[in-house]
Order: sequence, then C-alpha cells, then structure tokens
Amino acid sequence: MQAVEAIQKALQELDRPKLQLLALSSVGIGLTYFLVWRRKAKKSIPLGDGWWGHGQQTLRDDNKIYPFKVETSEDEINDLHRRIDQMRYTEPLEDCGFQYGFNSNYLQKVVSYWRNQFDWKKQVAKLNEYPHFKTNIEGLDVHFVHVRAPHRPGQKVLPLMLVHGWPGSFFEFYKILPLLTDTKDDLAFEVICPSIPGYGFSEAPHKQGFCSLDAARIFLKLMERLGFNKFYLQGGDWGSLITTNMAQMKPQCVSGLHLNMLAVTKGGVGMLLSLIIGPYLPFLVGFTREDVRRLFPYFEKNVYDLLMESGYMHIQGTKPDTAGCGLNDSPVGLAAYILEKFSTWTDRKNRDLEDGDLEKKYSLDDLLTNVMIYWTTRSIIPSMRFYKENFKTNPQNRVDARTGIFVPMGHAAFPNELMHCPLPWARWRFKDIRSYSYMPRGGHFAAFEEPRLLAEDFVKFVRKVEGKKR
Amino acid sequence: MLLEVLLALVLGAVVLLVLRRSKAAVLKTEDGWWGAGSPPAGAEDESIRPFQVETSREEIEDLQRRIDQTRPVPSLEDSQFNYGFNSTYLQKVAAYWRNEFDWSKQVDKLNQYPHFKTKIEGIDVHYVHVKPKNLPEGRTAVPLIMVHGWPGSFYEFYGILPLLTEPANADDVAFEVICPSIPGYGFSEAPRKKGFNSVCAARVFLKLMRRLGFGRFYAQGGDWGWQITTNMAQLDPTAVKGLHINFAPVENVGPLLILSILLGRRFPGLFGFTELDVKRLYPRVEKMLVEPLKETGYFHIQATKPDTAGRGLNDSPVGLAAYILEKFSTWTDHEFRNLEDGGLERKFSLEDLLTNVMIYWTTGSITSSMRFYKENFAKGFYPPHARIPVTVPTGVAAFPNELMHTPKLWAKQKNHKLKTYTTMARGGHFAAMEEPGLMAQDIQKFIKVVEGKK
Repeated sequence: MQAVEAIQKALQELDRPKLQLLALSSVGIGLTYFLVWRRKAKKSIPLGDGWWGHGQQTLRDDNKIYPFKVETSEDEINDLHRRIDQMRYTEPLEDCGFQYGFNSNYLQKVVSYWRNQFDWKKQVAKLNEYPHFKTNIEGLDVHFVHVRAPHRPGQKVLPLMLVHGWPGSFFEFYKILPLLTDTKDDLAFEVICPSIPGYGFSEAPHKQGFCSLDAARIFLKLMERLGFNKFYLQGGDWGSLITTNMAQMKPQCVSGLHLNMLAVTKGGVGMLLSLIIGPYLPFLVGFTREDVRRLFPYFEKNVYDLLMESGYMHIQGTKPDTAGCGLNDSPVGLAAYILEKFSTWTDRKNRDLEDGDLEKKYSLDDLLTNVMIYWTTRSIIPSMRFYKENFKTNPQNRVDARTGIFVPMGHAAFPNELMHCPLPWARWRFKDIRSYSYMPRGGHFAAFEEPRLLAEDFVKFVRKVEGKKR
Repeated sequence: MLLEVLLALVLGAVVLLVLRRSKAAVLKTEDGWWGAGSPPAGAEDESIRPFQVETSREEIEDLQRRIDQTRPVPSLEDSQFNYGFNSTYLQKVAAYWRNEFDWSKQVDKLNQYPHFKTKIEGIDVHYVHVKPKNLPEGRTAVPLIMVHGWPGSFYEFYGILPLLTEPANADDVAFEVICPSIPGYGFSEAPRKKGFNSVCAARVFLKLMRRLGFGRFYAQGGDWGWQITTNMAQLDPTAVKGLHINFAPVENVGPLLILSILLGRRFPGLFGFTELDVKRLYPRVEKMLVEPLKETGYFHIQATKPDTAGRGLNDSPVGLAAYILEKFSTWTDHEFRNLEDGGLERKFSLEDLLTNVMIYWTTGSITSSMRFYKENFAKGFYPPHARIPVTVPTGVAAFPNELMHTPKLWAKQKNHKLKTYTTMARGGHFAAMEEPGLMAQDIQKFIKVVEGKK
C-alpha cells in the first residue's frame, strides 16, 4: 500500500515531458517484450532451400523413384580381406580395458571373426530383404528403405519415418521393423528408413553447409514425393535433431514425434536452479526420484563423463577430413572407431572391461554389417562432416534452437543414454508432450539394442495421440 | 570508485604474488618401471648400445602397396584446409611419396649422426648424440638436451644441429647435443604400463644425462619438449643450468593473469604488453576460446581415446600423413587453413616432412605417441607440477605464429628466473625445423646471458 502511494506521489511530481517520456518508454518496453515473446512462440521455422550437387545447378530435380539393390562383388570382399590381413597390431597397455579406446587384444578377436567367419554376401541378402529405393532431391541421390505393412483387414496403417544417427545407419532399424509393420493387432505402420545424405547409400553433399535443417527439408520432400501428407517420426542421435527440425518446419504434416534422445540446448537459470535444488528437493523442481538417480552426481555424470566421451565430436566438428582419412583405408581402424561407441554408449561401465561387453547385447554379424555400410560406401568422412556443419553456427543461436516444438511428442528415456533429460527440461521446448517413459534398460542405440521396448513405447505413444485406449 | 576497486585488486594481486613466490617447492617423483610384466631381479643393464636406423625392400614395398590402396574422398568445394587436410593436395603428397621420395636416402641422412639406445626403467630409450667436430684448443662443448614434441621427433632438430655444434661465429658457444626420443615415440620403446606422463619422461631423461656423464647441462624444448624439460628443471634444479623454451602455455590461472586479460587491451603498458601481445590476445573470445576450440579436437580425442584414434592411422600411411601434416600446416600459420595446399611447402620440404612421418610409420608408434596425452591429463588440468614454479635460468623465444601466445608477464609467473624473452621475427610451432637460424641465435643469446653472469 505504501509503495503504491509512493509511486503515485512520484508520478505526480513529474512534469509533463517526463511523464510523456515515461509513458512512451513503458509502451516501448511493452511492445518489445510482446514482439520478443511472440517470436519465441513462433510455431514453425522457415523451410529454406538448397542444392548440393557438383558445380552449378543446371537441371531441375528428377522426381522419379528408382528401386535400388545393395550389391557386392568378389573384388570388394577380397580387398577387404587383404586390408584386414595387413593390419599392424599395437599392443595395449596392461589392464586398461576399454579406457584408452577399443582394446587391441579384443579387437584381434573381432577382426579374426570378420576375416574368417563373417559372410558379407549373406548380410547383403539380409539387407535386401526389404525394398530399397533412391530418388534425387536437391541434387543428391537419397537412399531409403520402404517397408509396407501386409494388408490385414481391420488394421489401421499409419506412415512413419525412422531416422538414424552416427555411427549408425538404416540397418539399426532392421529388428524393430517387423515389430512395427507386421503386427497382429489393429495398428500397423508403413515405414520409411532413409539414410542421411553423406551416410551409407545416400549421396554425400558436394557443397559446404549441409546441416540438420537441410536434411530435415530433404526428408520432408521425400515424404511428400512418396505421397504422405501426415506421418509419424521417430529418431535418436542425429535422427532426433532431424525429426525435430522436420516437426518445426512443417508441423501440419507431423502427427507425432517420438524421440529416444533429447539434447538440452538452452539451459539458463531454470536449469541451474534445478541442478542446485534437484538433489535435495527434487519435487520442487519437478524431478522424480528416477531423474535424480540418473542425473546426479551431475558434475561427474554429465560434465566429466561428457568430456571423456566427446573427443570424437570435437575432432569431427573441426577436422572431419583429417579424422576420417585413415579410417577410409583401414577397415580395422574403422571398426575400432565405430564399435567403440557401440560398447561405451550402450553402458559406460563397459569401459572397464577387456572386451567392452560388446557381444552382450549385439551380435558381431549385426555390428559388422553396420560397419560394412560405412566401409563399402566410403562414407565415413562425409558422415563426420555433418558434425562440423551443425556446429558452424553456435547451436544455441540457430533458428531451430530458439523455436519451440508444438506437435505431439513422446520421449522414451533409456537409463544408459548419454544424457538424461528430465520432463521439466523437455517442457521448455516441447509444448505438447503426450508420453514420457523411464525405460527399464537400454542405452544410446535403443532400436538396435532393445527393439521390443522401443516399439512398445512408440506404439503406446501413437495410441495416446490417436486417442485410442488399449 | 572504480579506481579504488582497481587499486585494491592490484594490491591484492601483488600481495598474493609475493606470497606465492615464497613457496618455491621442489617437484617430487617416485621411480617407475615400464616394461612388460614385473621387473626382473637384479640390476638393470645400463649399457649404451650404438643404433643404426635401418630399412629394407620389404618395408618400402609394403609402404608403396598401401599408398596405392588409398581410397581418396574428394574435399567439399572451396573448403581448402578448413575441414582438415585437403584431399586434392593429399593426392599430390601421396604421389610424391610413392614415386619420388627416397626412404633409403633419408635413412642414410638420419644415420649421419650417431644414434644410441640404453635401457632405463625397463624400456629402451633412443637418442642421437652429436659432438662438435672441430673444437678449438682449451674449449669444452656445452652439453645440451633438446626434446621434441608431438607430432614431431628428434628429426626436427637436424636443421639446427650443425648451427649449434659447429657455430659460424668464433665467440658463439659450441654445444654437445643429446636429442632423445620420448618413450613411445619413434625409436624409443613404448611404456607397457599406464601412467607414463611428462614427469616420468623427465625423470628418465635426467637418468639418461647422468648415465652419459653430464652433471650439469642445458635443456631446450617446445610442445611436449617444453613440458618435459620444465619438469626436468623442477625435479633437479641443480642439474639443469638453463632452460630454453619456444612454447610456454599458461598452466596456472592467477589473479594477475586474469587482471591482465581483462585490462590488457586498454592498458597494455601496465602489464608490459607489446603490440604483438595485444594483437595475439584480443579480441578475447575469438583468440582465447574460439580459435583454441577449433584446433584442439585432436587433443581431446587423444587425451581420452588414444587407442581408437591411432588404430586406423597405423594401417594407412596416407591417413597418418594427413593427420600429422595437417599440424605442420596449421600450426605454422593459422592462415594456411585457407590455402588449397595448406601452405605446407612454403616453409618445409616434402622430403623433410615425410621423413618425420616415416619415423612414426616404420616404428608403428602413432598410438603410443597419442597415449602420452591421456597420461598427462589423467589427473585433470592441474597436476602438482603445474603449481610449482621453475627456478633455473630460463629463456623464452616467443615465435609470432606459435599456437598459444604467452606475453612476458605470464612467462614470468611460472619461470621465476626469466633471463631472456625474445619476440622472434617469424616462425610458428615447429620453430627448430622452420627457423633453425633464428632459434640457434636465440639459444646463443640466452646462453651468453646465463654464462656471462657466472
């Protein structure tokens, strides 16, 4: 009360010009705030455009879709064997497990399997079990797998795109595909699994600047070309960012967005407060006990661990051509580089084990098939360039980081994921979260490691969105 | 008001400085053993064995076969060296390496100086020992140990060795030089156990000098060589007569440093900042954060996953060359990132560059060389030796294109007996190899100041 009187008194004491100035500046501040706030509440980001082929763009996009078959040859296999035989072994330090990277002793075992037992021809036949296609978008041949649901009466079939990350590929989805397309109940999916340009069988961009926004736009064009106006999206790793961008560019086309990895980009005061208060009074900041278990001790789990594990990101984000050069000549080097992630990002404790517990959740056949996709297509360097292109502009200032996501979203939080994102943090950017699940087990390569769990959570999310009850 | 605050800060900093200086501790270390398994019973074999670099037709043919098997990936249009080593230029280097580079001839060149090996703490340590040939009557050569860094080797010193051992001027000092290879690099055996860091290397090199009969000697180094020779001076200040370094990054961030960063641009005179200092340090965010981030990816991956990082490079010579030579380009001048050929042959010959690469290739030492990064940062960025000053006479040669620039004020924080600080006319990180004449000149200048004081 006293304050109000004081303010009234102060205002009365001001002379006319000062009052005018006060009024104008109040309006000005109000307007600015309103505009800024409105900008933050923008519902979509611009599509933009691009062309990534050689030289100048001469022709328009050829809209045709061509069937594609993965192939191999005796030459390719012999060359691989020759290079494996030429590996120059380096002894590991005593008792180092996977702490210094991929353990050389265990690598010998993997390599021996690769050389003598792995059957690439058989794996190629497995890859071709689903139909592959290529189509030219923005000057690049974009590869994708298109799996239709068998026509079951009474079944509703929804279109879905699954986007992979690094160092994965479309092949990570081969175990989850039958669980989504070949279901016995009333809901099934028609699935598109593209390869990000620069990865695997998708042509690599020839020009600089190809970031997740461009990949998102190209995938939107792909869905459009295939005749889908509304569809679901699922992704992790780069796939998470690309599908999020897709939902930001054309929210009207995205029925729902399901992610198994969430990167917290804009923290700010809210994040800081929740980090300080969280361990002691979690409910105050919206944390559950599970959140606390996964997040803290924060410094050790998130900062120190992240530093330990982000060397690859740092070098790929700055010197991708140098980082990938040797890996493109040495299949063993490539395998060590890629499979180290499949060990460590599945469970950080694997760093202390001599064999990185690699074969606990994955078969060598599956792991090496993924490596072969990078090897036979020579795509390790372009795949690394994606990091540099995305970090060129400060990621926090890019248009997608400053814009929210308004389509229905579902998050499957796997316990051994690289970063844990509690629901309150996810809410800063995702304005319509329909489902948030703490998964009982699993790490970064969720679709590859726990296809059943991921499929179940995804379907649960879709049902919530479609309004159906189980 | 501001002035009072500033004065208080400065006073506080001065007080802290004075308090700090009085705590001149000596670096402590324990003995180590780095061979396979457990150390054998009995005394270590301390014999010094002559060593010759050798090659064979198989070795050369294997290299050529692998170069032929390179699977090049074209660089993005107009990217020069900004994404790493440019693919087009790399093919040129590979072609030269395959068809013109003569490794046998280079091996002979390496053997022009006598090499030796001796076992210390369970591993074979390699070094080159160069004595002056024509020493005038009554003169003794001054012993000097020169330590290389990554991705270099003892070979970086081959250009400067004649200038130091056979100086042109009569009143210049003639040196007897020891150029060892850091364990895990080149012809020095790699440690088999975890934990071999710069302090361990320093201890090993101190033992080497003692074994060779040098009670007191000078030390010179850049890159890891700076860290190791600094540790040597901290472990045994009586043995190291003087320390000359061309790399002096800040390890300890104190209040004076912070103050100078905040105010140095406005009041350079207050901190003794020269024009070069200001040019190299400001704008702050760009020069102290963005630039280092752009160039430390290799550091980050080597300090965390060296075995993964080096794995492919040990099978692919072209990959190894790209990885190593990218540094010889960018660390000589950041501007070279915008050149199609990385400016590589402006300051170095392909022959010399590839000889250095061959040292890593033929010994298969890339992975063990990378492990050194992890071992040195195992205990974080603030190990005990970072907090201990250097109390032996020190000379700093500040090359204008060095990776991290250290103004005189900062160098003084660590090196309490800074005798010379020279802003060099030109040159980058690989100073001894790029500007041997300038480097030799500065070493002479430093020695004369130290010896003159006697």
